[in-house]
Amino acid sequence: MADGNTPQPNPDTPSGVGATRVLIADDDHVNRLILKAILAKEGYAVEVAEDGREAVARFTEWQPDLVLMDVMMPVLDGYEATREIKALAGDAFVPVIFLTALSDEAALARCVAVGGDDFLTKPYSRVILKAKIDALERVRRLHVTLRQQRDELAGHQRRLLQEHQVAEKVLAKIVHSGSLDASQIKYLLSPMAIFNGDMLLAARKPSGGLHVMLGDFTGHGLSAAIGTVPVADIFYGMTDKGFSIGDILATINDKLRVILPTDVFFAAVLLELDANHSKLTIWNGGIPDVAIRRVDGRVEALPSDHLPLGVIENEQLDRAVRVVEVEAGDRIVAFSDGFIEAHNPEGEMFGLERLVATLASEADPDSMFDGLLRTLGDFVGEGALGDDLSLVEITCDPAWALARSSEAPRAFRPRAPMRWSISIELVPDTLRSVDPLPLVMHLLMDLQGLQEHREQLYAVLMELFSNALDHGLLGLDSALKQTPEGFVRYYELRKQRLAELDHGRVRISLDHEPDGRGGSLRFTVVDDGPGFDHSRVFAPLEENVSFFGRGIPLLKSICEHLEYTGDGNQVEAVYRWGDNEAGADSATHD
Amino acid sequence: MAPWGVPGDRHKGRFMPLTIQRSDDDRVVTITISGRFDFDLHQEFRQAFEHAEDEEASYVIDLAQAEYMDSSALGMLLLLRERAGGDRADISIVNCSPAINKILTISNFHKLFKVA
Repeated sequence: MADGNTPQPNPDTPSGVGATRVLIADDDHVNRLILKAILAKEGYAVEVAEDGREAVARFTEWQPDLVLMDVMMPVLDGYEATREIKALAGDAFVPVIFLTALSDEAALARCVAVGGDDFLTKPYSRVILKAKIDALERVRRLHVTLRQQRDELAGHQRRLLQEHQVAEKVLAKIVHSGSLDASQIKYLLSPMAIFNGDMLLAARKPSGGLHVMLGDFTGHGLSAAIGTVPVADIFYGMTDKGFSIGDILATINDKLRVILPTDVFFAAVLLELDANHSKLTIWNGGIPDVAIRRVDGRVEALPSDHLPLGVIENEQLDRAVRVVEVEAGDRIVAFSDGFIEAHNPEGEMFGLERLVATLASEADPDSMFDGLLRTLGDFVGEGALGDDLSLVEITCDPAWALARSSEAPRAFRPRAPMRWSISIELVPDTLRSVDPLPLVMHLLMDLQGLQEHREQLYAVLMELFSNALDHGLLGLDSALKQTPEGFVRYYELRKQRLAELDHGRVRISLDHEPDGRGGSLRFTVVDDGPGFDHSRVFAPLEENVSFFGRGIPLLKSICEHLEYTGDGNQVEAVYRWGDNEAGADSATHD
Repeated sequence: MAPWGVPGDRHKGRFMPLTIQRSDDDRVVTITISGRFDFDLHQEFRQAFEHAEDEEASYVIDLAQAEYMDSSALGMLLLLRERAGGDRADISIVNCSPAINKILTISNFHKLFKVA
């Protein structure tokens, strides 16, 4: 070593070790010798080429880290050789230093234009050559580092994207396993909605009613999407068991209070349509107004009354719902705030008023959904529609509710019929705070495995219990429900009287006996209210389906036996099941 | 001119998105927001109350210059409320534009904050 400067082994060379490789391209034999000597002394590995064509060939096979390029060479000159070498290098940075005796600026400029990084003039100075090579080496190493980091980042990004796609599929399965494909529900939900924390769920109740929930978590991305999992679980599980939306929203609120940070919450609207599709119950916390387009074309907008879920403790949670009468043909429309906030190029927002006007202006209710989307699209103009638009339209259609569920019955077999009985007695405090129906149903399913009969059993239980409570204890007259004002009044009165109730009880008893083919289940519901004259009420109402909910005629079609006794405050119904299910056979209702 | 921007570059166009003023007796803290009240203000907003020594202080959020508010802003308000005493917090949101008022109304935040 002439002056003790040994270049470090170059880990970037193809072999991974060894000195920095320099290719010398010069047609002059003496020049080649001089340069080779200088470089070899400095510890570089050196190869030579006699012309441009050979330079390109040596470059390809030997892959030098740096090239010293003469300009004037036969076969292929330095400019062209440099062009080709730079192209071959591609992504990598291989510096080219031109060797030139030329001093005219145009020629020097051309060196740089074809890709040259520096030039060296004769006479060749060892010091200057080394300095230039070192400087370019620094740049080259920096370049290598940057490329490595870029490739690493790209790899991370690819992996993240893959994980996202898998997560999205899993979330979609968990969250969208409900009844959104029912014929009476139209909806718009962006495919990326789940990563915006937007959700739209629908599920049937065992009684035939429908629950729909439209919700919106604050934030974006996975942190917003995560909350959808427990919420969906609660929604589907409790709806399936027959719980009402009040219980469901309280459970969700409780859960979210525990798991979400203070600044994350869940705006949601819960809708419940009863089996007749005559009564709509709404609880709205933080979602824009729910619109109802009536059969006569009027549009009502019902605003949000509550704070979003996950904000306040359950003790402070207001479960008060709005109850609205609806009828066949009415359309219920709910949407996320992305709809209202969509704006046109001038910055104007679509707004609630415009949305309501659009719904009202559509003469054909069947076109209302598409018409609304079209109007929004026209309004937004060239701007893209955001991916946070959620929209659902539900058509009230009692026929849908009465039709048997098309889902295949779950693979439960009734247990061997046994003899058992249960009785539950409810006093005013309990009646105010607990919904006994899902609990009793749960017992029924667990004790005797009657899942296949769930819908009918729930209908019977609900009918008998509602009559006992509403009519027997609270003294409400169902005739009140015949007019729209009376309808609202009925539920106001119910709420008020239940709050004031200070005595009275309802007892629900179930007695089950095997009967040879299957079993016979006797429901007995007793209330100690003043009772009613069932003989007066019974006969004329056989044609009137809507008196007690779906009414006595329905019970008579489901049950083998139905009898009011006492002062009308005691009722007994018998349901038979088994291989020959006589009671459930008549699928037609009066 | 530095080619790679200066600190605070992301608030290009709005000089001070959030300012804090304390009353003479230190009992009232006024936070004035200008421009977009969204997630970008998260850091500064937190600092506004994180170092509050007096947990009995009342807060006034002045939105006269605010042109937009989203749900992350609502979330920030909830954080402030928690820090300022939860149910005992005294927080007023004033000078709301109709658009911002609408957002507060839909979320029923007037049940937790004084809104004007």
